[in-house]
Amino acid sequence: MTSDDEINGKETTDGESPGPPSSPGPEQVRLQLAGISKRFGAVRAIRHADITVRVGEVHALVGENGAGKSTMIKIISGVESADTGTIDFEGAPVSINSTTDAMSLGIATVYQEPQLFSELTVSENIFTGREIRKGGRVNWAAQNAKVVELLELLGLPARYATVPVGSLSIAEQQQVSIAKALAGNAKVLILDEPSAILTDAEIDVLFTVVRRLTASGVSVIYISHRLDELFRIAARVTVMRDGQTIGTYPIEELSVRQIAELMVGGILSDDRPERVVPDGEAALVLSGLTRTGKFHDVDVAVKRGEIVGLYGLVGSGVSEIAACVYGMDRATSGQILLNGTPIEPRSPQDAQKLGIALLPANRKLEGMFSFQSIAFNISAGHLKLLSRFGIFVDRTREKSVARDLIKRLAVKTPHERTTIGAMSGGNAQKVVLARQLVERPEVLVLAEPTQGVDVGAKEEIHRIITELAESGSAVLVVTSDLPEALRISDRLQVVRGGTTTVEFGPDATQVDVLAAAAGAVGEPAGDNEGHAA
Amino acid sequence: MSATVNERPDPGVPASEPPPVAPRPRNRVLPSPVSGQEFVLIGVIAALWIILAFATPAFFTAGSIQPLLVSTAPIALVGIGMTIIIITGGIDVSVGAAIMVCSVITAKLLVDQGLALPLAVLVSVIVGAVLGLVNGLLIAYGRVHAIIITFGTANIFLFLGLQIFGSSTVNGIPQTFDVFGRGVAGRTLGVPHAFLITVVIAGIAWWYLRHTAGGRHFYAIGGDAHAARLAGVRVQRRILLAYVVTGLLVGLASCFVIAQGTSTLDQSVGNGKELAVIAAVVIGGTSIMGGRGSVLGTLLGALLVQTVTSGVTQLGWNSQLSDLFVGVFIIVAVGADLIRERARRAG
Amino acid sequence: MTTTPALDKPSSGPSGNTESVAARVIRALLTQRIVLLAVLIGVVVVVFFIMDSGGYLTAPYDSDYMASSLINAVPLVMLGLAELLVILSGRGGIDLSVGAIVSLAGMIFGFAYGEWGWPLWLAIVLTAAFGGLCGALNGFLIAYIKFPALIATLATYYAYKSLAIVINNQRPISTPPIQELFSISRSVELPLIGGGLPDVPLGIFTFLIPTVIVVWVLLARTTYGRRLYAIGTNDTAGEWAGLPVKDTRFKAYVYAGVISGLVAVVTVAQFASARPDAGVSGSGMALPAITIAVLGGVAITGGIGRVAGVVLAALLIVWLNAGILLAFVGNEGSQYQLLALGTVLVFAALLNGITNRRYGGSR
Repeated sequence: MTSDDEINGKETTDGESPGPPSSPGPEQVRLQLAGISKRFGAVRAIRHADITVRVGEVHALVGENGAGKSTMIKIISGVESADTGTIDFEGAPVSINSTTDAMSLGIATVYQEPQLFSELTVSENIFTGREIRKGGRVNWAAQNAKVVELLELLGLPARYATVPVGSLSIAEQQQVSIAKALAGNAKVLILDEPSAILTDAEIDVLFTVVRRLTASGVSVIYISHRLDELFRIAARVTVMRDGQTIGTYPIEELSVRQIAELMVGGILSDDRPERVVPDGEAALVLSGLTRTGKFHDVDVAVKRGEIVGLYGLVGSGVSEIAACVYGMDRATSGQILLNGTPIEPRSPQDAQKLGIALLPANRKLEGMFSFQSIAFNISAGHLKLLSRFGIFVDRTREKSVARDLIKRLAVKTPHERTTIGAMSGGNAQKVVLARQLVERPEVLVLAEPTQGVDVGAKEEIHRIITELAESGSAVLVVTSDLPEALRISDRLQVVRGGTTTVEFGPDATQVDVLAAAAGAVGEPAGDNEGHAA
Repeated sequence: MSATVNERPDPGVPASEPPPVAPRPRNRVLPSPVSGQEFVLIGVIAALWIILAFATPAFFTAGSIQPLLVSTAPIALVGIGMTIIIITGGIDVSVGAAIMVCSVITAKLLVDQGLALPLAVLVSVIVGAVLGLVNGLLIAYGRVHAIIITFGTANIFLFLGLQIFGSSTVNGIPQTFDVFGRGVAGRTLGVPHAFLITVVIAGIAWWYLRHTAGGRHFYAIGGDAHAARLAGVRVQRRILLAYVVTGLLVGLASCFVIAQGTSTLDQSVGNGKELAVIAAVVIGGTSIMGGRGSVLGTLLGALLVQTVTSGVTQLGWNSQLSDLFVGVFIIVAVGADLIRERARRAG
Repeated sequence: MTTTPALDKPSSGPSGNTESVAARVIRALLTQRIVLLAVLIGVVVVVFFIMDSGGYLTAPYDSDYMASSLINAVPLVMLGLAELLVILSGRGGIDLSVGAIVSLAGMIFGFAYGEWGWPLWLAIVLTAAFGGLCGALNGFLIAYIKFPALIATLATYYAYKSLAIVINNQRPISTPPIQELFSISRSVELPLIGGGLPDVPLGIFTFLIPTVIVVWVLLARTTYGRRLYAIGTNDTAGEWAGLPVKDTRFKAYVYAGVISGLVAVVTVAQFASARPDAGVSGSGMALPAITIAVLGGVAITGGIGRVAGVVLAALLIVWLNAGILLAFVGNEGSQYQLLALGTVLVFAALLNGITNRRYGGSR
């Protein structure tokens, strides 16, 4: 389209949206945060962050998990308030203490999880809370007309206006969320990992929309792990690491590798103890495993005593693979082999009987029984084992097993009767992990094993995982935490686009893997990834 | 920023082409007003009526259809309010007791003070609204589960009603309310007024739920109360309104109940009505989980339940069998709804 | 890197030494439901003793009266335990049909023992099993078909209620064997220590205490009980942990049905007649049962609740009701019982709401 070429052409010439010269004068800056810090209890999520977002620019925000990106976004959108620092909006100092404050400034956020009302139509969803009225009733015609405009802007069919949102695909629902933000006359639009669930074609459409928006002056803060995308859409990128903003750079001055290096810092020593992986047949083999719509042709092999990592970003299909091995989902084709025998677990119970254990990714939703004790949490799922005649719980044994595991995993607690809900993330995670270890598993799958876990507990959990492997289990770690994946795996496979891709050995660097996962597969070091859109 | 498109005309779309949806009749902009479940219900009711008409010739006479409509009216009327409550994700099991309170107060006023019709109805409606307000305040602001609170208020209302009853019955109720359903004066074109009024109010409620922002907000609250609040919906005020409106309707329905009874009102009035109302609502396709539902379905559900009751009596079967059928219908209706929902989600 | 976090502090509220005694007492009262109930029972009993000595009551409120009024506790506690089981199972678990099952199973018992001449023990077994079957239908709809519990048990309430009446054409069964059963509700002297203590209704020993013990053991000591608490706390986590979620939930409703069957036997004995509307007359038996479960500290969302709480809550209500009956003349008493029940329930619910928000829940 002509208008897009216009915009694109202008972007490549001076790296910014059309308009006044590049040196920022105060009227050019829409949003500025300075000196931000934020602490949650004893954890400092942000130590010092500054960010300046200009009118009409796409500003990328990148950083590894735990770097502080999401906290930053929460502060901008009013979900949290910063402990220190100032926020200026269009030159004037403001305080954003609630989501309403943010909305009235014109800051809108589109999350990965669309917050929509599934029974209401797209039109109603977009206008909930700010309906266009005529007399006492809603002016459906006017509302729908506006909605149709927005839908066309986003490349969705006009008839969607009157379709219940629940019947749309997740990607389409996300686009409706964007439309909702747009309908509110957003001046700053925050897109949180929007491309995670989109196909390439949908991503193209998204970018077209984003360009149109910035052309009319909307500022877009774009968060993504997919570094290659940034070159197509962003003007500048801010890198965060360990709770600090490292710097803001015009995108064309960097390459994917360079961004990755900034994200990682190069300080983290990928020091791994020397591990000898015993030889032998693979204990767990996934061969051509496919589940239509989620993943396809997955090939993984894990030997006894080996730790294999599967590294994949959100939407890569990696968590669905884990669920399949554990019997939560069923594959549509392909095989799972346990010690050479094909298996088809139909439920977690089946998987457990076969000796496969899994630590769920989402501790609060899938792992913990929040208001129950540590002992309860550990023995859940092993009740038959810890019982007399299979009926009566053997509390003495339960207690000693729990105490044993508490000691082994260094869980910080006075005794096994403490409620798990009151514990820190790291300790709670250890308890859920302990549950998997009551009976030594043949295969242990760990999904996001240290998500929301502090550094100390993280180290300990990694130590435990290594010990487990050494005691003979085959360990599969599924994670989106790259340093962790590298530190702990003997072999690391990148999962992208629903299938297993590049495999790395023990001497891979984070930058290599990050680049591979971001799409620069096979790029030798030092290449400039940037290309004009 | 939909203003974007206005400021910079998008060359992709010829300026002269009107937006695809505009000047068509309003019915096109919203999903169909009658849902699948409701079509099925209409079919089932029609089928039942036909079967009954053949099985007992007496069924299709005015003498039995009219009382059927009169007895449907209070259930359907309260059902309108209950539909809204359930759409927001709540419930109210105190309506039966509330009917008792409103009817005993109104009946006593009719007997002791000889109140005229408009005043009596007004009193009943106000009493109902006050009862609804109690529920609404506790639920909207007390942040407790509606089912527990209304179990509690049911008992309290029951106590109130029994206290007001004093002795066991209210006797000598004048014919003031006949205009709602008894005799020729109680009908227009053969349809009892109570039923007509109910249909009119149902129509108003249907319009409100479908065409006003406030109405749609009920659905939003039932879908995701948290997201609704974030979007600017006044969640607590809406919930309060739902219970107060139901109370108003309870007050009016109590008048209908008095109208269809004898000149004696006894303490069992209203007993079990809350269950009949809830049954009508869920048979009508409103989901107990909230976020979805329609008053048309409730109207049909109430009609279905009363048809079954009336039919069982007319066929000379044990009148208790009607409860059995109601139970079966609830299972079938909700089951069908569940299946449809699962198919829709998988598809 | 981020700083190392502080060591875990044991939780549950502000640290001890900064709280005044009064605040600590209040917190204990609000969060420990058992304590609160015990205190309230004490208050109620004391109030009525005082009223008695002041001559305000129509009959003495003494230990004999309190003991004999315990006959009302039998069905109440048992059905309260039935509701405890299903509400614990989570996902909005509730059972509106318990009263109807009591009616229907009561009729079955009436047939078996009163008309077909079965031996008593066999008739009881049949009735309990039949109750379990009724509960199984609930469990199947709720656990396997995923009906909302409110709707499923509402439907079965209607169905069972009508079947109970239709099955014998609305006539109760009061044949001689049934009438002789009345002896169950007579009071007996407690064995061994009975001398100075008041006589207690037999039903307490033959039905109530065994049920309380069995349910307590089930919940506190068996693997099934653990599974029930687990799925009520978080059934997604239960699935991931490999627990048989559907099966566990299904069984809760079956057990509730079995208990309802036993209550049917007690009710028939108490009235010396198998009445088709036994469990559904007035506001039915389900409501008081749910009330004492909630009062006893059961969380309506599942996963929290104890036998002791239900038992104490029932005692509170029974003795409160017994006192009210004496404090008012004629019919008034039964009406004020309704007021008491309703007010207590509303306050209990509001209390649950407050403790959840301020103290992170109660135990």
